[in-house]
Amino acid sequence: MGHAAEPFLSIVLTGRNDGYGGDFVARLARALRFNHHQLESRAVSYEVVFVEWAPPADRPRLSELLFAVAPELERRAFAWYVVDPAYQTILSLNPRLEYLEFLAKNVGVRRARGRFVLTSNCDVYLGRRVLEAIQAGQLNPRVVYRAPRHDLKPLTTSVLDWTLLEDPKSLAGPAHVLKPPYMGSATGDFAMLDRESFHEVRGFNEVYRVARIGIDRNFLVKALSSGFTIADIGGPVYHENHEGSYRLNPRAYEGREAEAPWGDRRWHSGGVSYVNPPTWGLGLAPARSMAGGTVHLDFAWEAIPPLVDLRGVVVPAARRGGPSPGQYVRKR
Amino acid sequence: MKRLINRLLAVFGLVSARRYQAMTEQAERLKVTANEWKTRASEVATRVRELEADVKRSARLAQKSKLSVDKMRQRRQDIDKLRSRLADAERELIVAREHLMAIEVKLDILEGAANVLEIRTRSAVSQHHNQTSAPA
Repeated sequence: MGHAAEPFLSIVLTGRNDGYGGDFVARLARALRFNHHQLESRAVSYEVVFVEWAPPADRPRLSELLFAVAPELERRAFAWYVVDPAYQTILSLNPRLEYLEFLAKNVGVRRARGRFVLTSNCDVYLGRRVLEAIQAGQLNPRVVYRAPRHDLKPLTTSVLDWTLLEDPKSLAGPAHVLKPPYMGSATGDFAMLDRESFHEVRGFNEVYRVARIGIDRNFLVKALSSGFTIADIGGPVYHENHEGSYRLNPRAYEGREAEAPWGDRRWHSGGVSYVNPPTWGLGLAPARSMAGGTVHLDFAWEAIPPLVDLRGVVVPAARRGGPSPGQYVRKR
Repeated sequence: MKRLINRLLAVFGLVSARRYQAMTEQAERLKVTANEWKTRASEVATRVRELEADVKRSARLAQKSKLSVDKMRQRRQDIDKLRSRLADAERELIVAREHLMAIEVKLDILEGAANVLEIRTRSAVSQHHNQTSAPA
């Protein structure tokens, strides 16, 4: 379903073969297999835009491993980008931050071809209602669609079905509820918007490269501030719990927040907005086609935004009749 | 005959003893009644004086109340003004907090940039030092 010039849906994912959360490749293959099967059975035209961000030099690429593990996945449904590790090194403003997740997602969002772009994660399964809404195709522009996340206990099976997915016994805890106005909570797992609007707001925040936690929530502030609506799509997505997940132990770095590998969770992600440069999503990175249809984004200084761009941090705009986008939280 | 004698006595200004007795008793009764009325009149006069004092007191109170009402009206206007100023201050506070957040976020960025630049500088200097101090 991935060869349409403009598929209905682009699913943007990012990862690398670094063993994140345990057996990363198995979790990725399981989720992709399930989502691929569900979308295909509903005749949804889609592509997966996968961004392999700063892959370790001493390990095989995910693109090499995935299709060996899951040969049933249609290679043509994937647009696969490998990003030079130098970008992570140069762009990070926090030495403890090993993965600039949302910059990676921006690489995918910028290059996505779908009418709607869903940014999600590698271990997220699309729920029944979500699939129905996508299949119906009645999605509106300028609406950020959100889905609550249901956390599953770690799975052992390689193939997943609805019986297991929707069994309350599979849940690792109480289901999350989306609360207006942000409809936040695990936004990184499901944020869908029409491509044009995603380009209008220039993706996720690239100015604040000090943390990756809260960048998804900050995107919702930007969306509200830009006059977009945030809506619950009507059903959940499912996420497989794994070791190292922030969700499992959000207070692991309490009192030493600066040491957290995801950055300081207390930053004002709910209170400021941003203006990315027009080159967002490594727009000027030279692209080099490689074997297997993979595109390598080579390092180039002209693709790097300024180290510090203070004018890119702005106060969010309140809209008449809309919720106030900013709310002060004392940080220190 | 009795009537004739009474008329005759009346010519000389005299009355019969019984008549005299009756008149005297009537006069006594009238005197008592008059005293009662005097007492009542005195009481009424006292009551009138009391009521007059009450009226004066009430008038004073009314005057005081009017002043209080005026004061309250003024105070209410002051409170309305204060409320309006409070709403303005709250709005300004929200804006100030938003700017404070933006400043703190900018400081985070500056701090982060300073940290990574320090690391890069140390690394570059150390590398340079190693190269220059390496034996030929």
